[in-house]
Amino acid sequence: MVVKTSSQSMWTWMFQRLSGLFLGFFLVTHLNVHHLFHDITSTGLINFDTVRTNLASSGFWKVYYSLFVPFVVFHALNGLWAIIADYRIPGKLSILIKAVFCIFAAALIITGFFTLKNLF
Amino acid sequence: MSNNKLQETIRDAALNKNIGSFSYWLHRLTGIGLAVYLLMHTFVLSSAISGEAVFNDRMGAVQSPFFAVLEIFLIAGVFIHMLNGLRITLADFFGWSRMHKSIFWIIAIIFIALMIITILLIWPKFNPANYPVGG
Repeated sequence: MVVKTSSQSMWTWMFQRLSGLFLGFFLVTHLNVHHLFHDITSTGLINFDTVRTNLASSGFWKVYYSLFVPFVVFHALNGLWAIIADYRIPGKLSILIKAVFCIFAAALIITGFFTLKNLF
Repeated sequence: MSNNKLQETIRDAALNKNIGSFSYWLHRLTGIGLAVYLLMHTFVLSSAISGEAVFNDRMGAVQSPFFAVLEIFLIAGVFIHMLNGLRITLADFFGWSRMHKSIFWIIAIIFIALMIITILLIWPKFNPANYPVGG
């Protein structure tokens, strides 16, 4: 049976899946470049220069990483919110937690963008 | 957060020892773990705002054989959450919920294969001789 639910819940449910699919593709390439195929015996430790060179190799990476920041912050905080919401917390506390999460999300996204700006 | 509700969830997991319940807990625990990692990752990388020297110092501190072992757990968490998330999305978008148990075993095999490749690729990072002297 199809029923009308709160449009906000529907939107976050759908976007949790869409951002999850994006993060799946993103993390496979990210893990390959910075974790799995980073050969310590030939290139040494990851440092400012190696990260800058990787990111500068194509404009595609800059767009990719800029999208990653808001997507991962949304996916993580919305996921944590879904766990908290399962315990049916009272209305006022729920609004307070949502507000804290929103401020936290904004802080993380701003930090992420300034970090990328310095690495681009 | 109601404490009774949490106890109820734990009792429910003990009572329903099946694949759905197991993967539900696995997804939550890896999700919380990855959210905590995201914070640490932001802390290390945001040092780029303070300049190259601070960044290299902080990045150097998290590259050692000890952190290579932690990296294995991180990558295992990422793969579990990624593959199980794909299973949830397939069940949700294509109505494959009747196949969810078969999909679980397929992703379990893919997970083991990915972890073998991961350990082989990360292997040189376990050897302290491969790191520059003085960090």
